[in-house]
Amino acid sequence: MAASTLSRRSFVGLAGATAATALLARFGIVGDIEFANADETTFTYAIAGDPGSNVNPVTTSDRFGLMTLKLLFAQLFTYRADGVHFYLATGYDESEDHLEFTFHLREGVTWSDGEPVTADDVVFSYETIRETPVADAYSSLNYGDQGKVLVEAIDDLTVKFTFPFVIAAALEQLQGPDGVYIFPRHIYEGIEDYENTDVNKNPVGCGAYILDDYQAGSYIAFRANENYFDGVPGPSYVVYQIITNENSGMQAIQTGAVDAWIATAAQVQQMQIEANGLTVNPYTEGRVAYIVINTKLVPDINVRKALFYSLDREQIALAAVLDPNYYDVEYTFLPTNSAYYNADAVEKYERNIDKAKELLAEAGQPNPTFVFGYSGTDSLQTNAALMIQRNAKEAGINIELRGVESSALSKAMKNADDKEYHITFGGYIMGIDPDSYTPLFASGSPSNYAHYDNAVLDDLFAQGRIETDIEKRHEIYDAVQAEIADQATHYQLYSNHRLLITGPRVKGLEDAKLIPIFTFEDVNKLQIG
Amino acid sequence: MAKFILRRLAVAVPIVLLISIIVFALMRAAPYDAVDAMTTPRMSEETIAAIKAKYGYDQPVYVQYFGWLEDVLQFNFGNSIVTKQPIAQQLSVLIPHTMMLVLPSYLTAYILAIVLGLIAGSHRGGKLDHIIDGIASVLIAVPTFWLAMLLIFVFGYTLRALPFIGMQTVGDGSPLDILRHFTLPYITLTIAFLPDNLRYVRSSTITQTTQDYVQVQEAFGAKKVEIMFKHICRNVLGPVLTRLGMAVPLLVTGAIITESIFSWPGVGPYFINAIKGLDYPIVMAILLLSSTLTILGNLLADVLCAIADPRIRQGVR
Repeated sequence: MAASTLSRRSFVGLAGATAATALLARFGIVGDIEFANADETTFTYAIAGDPGSNVNPVTTSDRFGLMTLKLLFAQLFTYRADGVHFYLATGYDESEDHLEFTFHLREGVTWSDGEPVTADDVVFSYETIRETPVADAYSSLNYGDQGKVLVEAIDDLTVKFTFPFVIAAALEQLQGPDGVYIFPRHIYEGIEDYENTDVNKNPVGCGAYILDDYQAGSYIAFRANENYFDGVPGPSYVVYQIITNENSGMQAIQTGAVDAWIATAAQVQQMQIEANGLTVNPYTEGRVAYIVINTKLVPDINVRKALFYSLDREQIALAAVLDPNYYDVEYTFLPTNSAYYNADAVEKYERNIDKAKELLAEAGQPNPTFVFGYSGTDSLQTNAALMIQRNAKEAGINIELRGVESSALSKAMKNADDKEYHITFGGYIMGIDPDSYTPLFASGSPSNYAHYDNAVLDDLFAQGRIETDIEKRHEIYDAVQAEIADQATHYQLYSNHRLLITGPRVKGLEDAKLIPIFTFEDVNKLQIG
Repeated sequence: MAKFILRRLAVAVPIVLLISIIVFALMRAAPYDAVDAMTTPRMSEETIAAIKAKYGYDQPVYVQYFGWLEDVLQFNFGNSIVTKQPIAQQLSVLIPHTMMLVLPSYLTAYILAIVLGLIAGSHRGGKLDHIIDGIASVLIAVPTFWLAMLLIFVFGYTLRALPFIGMQTVGDGSPLDILRHFTLPYITLTIAFLPDNLRYVRSSTITQTTQDYVQVQEAFGAKKVEIMFKHICRNVLGPVLTRLGMAVPLLVTGAIITESIFSWPGVGPYFINAIKGLDYPIVMAILLLSSTLTILGNLLADVLCAIADPRIRQGVR
């Protein structure tokens, strides 16, 4: 009897404790989930990852972190495929020797705490990044033994940048790989670790939005900056809703739970686009997908060329992306929207099985076997790899497919002593100016995935970097494109479009402009309702 | 009893330590690290080296491990390498979210399992048993992610009756709104937890009904209901109670798939992202927590068992 009483008591006690924990969880610890300010002009964008609450203008380099930064802070200017757009700056003057760039700042711009934005803040921002090796844009402002970019305030509204030598793509350098955001000296001065500071929880910026609420793993909400220098933002709130599961994201956009979501072409085919009033907005990110051959493992140029002649770009691109409306076929390392793109300058390796077999016979390798590494979790790469395997087989080339984790693949690609993969799949959003692609081809660079030293290319890239005459630069980069194709190391396939699905409430996409990485250039120019 | 608990806790320490060494070694044996996953072709070698040094990757693995251990012994779980967030702070927000989902689901499944298991076991071979056992067999074969997607499709997409993203509507956050968001993941998890427990209770009940003491009771003319509630129940619920103890680690890692599908801001998506990005401080913290809870849960199970069964209690003393 005593035992049964004890047992019952302990059971009741346990149940009581668990119920109390649930109540605590609900009303105590989880109490801070109120965000009661959203209204009918709130724009909700589903993102596939959590940017975290330590997004900062110095070290952040991931897509969702950068999307957050772009709302909170402003740049002097942006440099895109269609040219320069001014934000905090109203314009710039370039010295005759192309070494000095003097930017003029907007008058009357204030930080979100009310303090004025001055040239001193610009100097502080650039100098901080230049002196912080872990900063995202550190390499854009430092040139090793050749020197660094100097920045000085001429007066409250004028800033001068001085380069140590002539760089034709100076504007792109000043923009950094993902933008250089201006942040206030009076808030950030003295901070040593930008990745772990309370300032990141309440950032002070001068962007179109102000951080309103962040819920780990759930959402990040921004309210409009009524004093934004480019006018009052359209959406009064912007919410990045974190949805990591693709299937859930697809249902969320279709039910109107979110206003925008990024889909793949296969997902678009599965969705009820019209019935749910959705719009598919394809746009290019300038990401050229390519295969690259490790020349240390495949030193014979004829064998490399044979592989290229066995491939059919159109077939591969269609197999990968599934819809011809959602990709551009690519022939050179530059995307089609680059000013220096010139497919006529290169050997395109149009499919020719006979020629492929001939080259293999010449090389004495009629049936070579290659191991092909690609990201196994990327459906586009997986589909493309299968088609490449099928194409190559017709010329007698055996391809062993090896789908692996993308980071592991990327590390193997950088390893010059890698013996595992003859061929790998590449593709990255590099930049606007051809100069930013240099690391992919420069001798000794870890991102030179073909692992070859090519003095001709090194010389051409060096010339292109300092040549300020546009016509001459075109000639140089035509030669670069031709040389890369002739070496048969990189075979460009396609640049797939990013597919932004928007709900019926979203208008003004043309003004907000779709751009790589960030999705929107000016999300504040959207109209919701 | 106190001695027994202390002895068990003392044994637990080296086990947790061993688990931490194995997990750390496995994480570091991967062909890349968290910084590799973050670097881009546009970063200079200098920048990549500086980032690696910042997170200690330039040190030998054992130095990294002892550095981590030293921090943990001071209750400092460190920061995420990828998002830079303090891990303890993040977990203090995420674990209650997970508990909020797992606790009610598990208790519902547990109570349902006891009731249905006793009914099925006491009607062994009968119609009711066939129906209950049949349902359990089907449910045990249903993958959680599939069930979740089915519920989303029916209640979220087709009927548009219930929300299925996150824990609240941004801009609402009222108890009713949270309850609506809670419904679908709660049903999913309850169904996920149910069949296993149900079959356990059923088989325990069947075992008990064939025991000699039941036949003796029957011979003395005791009623079936009386035998069930006075004798069988008591003997079945003892071991069933211990399952409650063993379920303790579920409070942290019990809803990984469900949380990911419903974008529930719990430990699940956080843990999955950390594993994908080889963000070892997060993975280590969660595994340390869950292995500690497993050990404590087992201890709790033993204690509950001892409390419920005087024979075991005598043995412990």
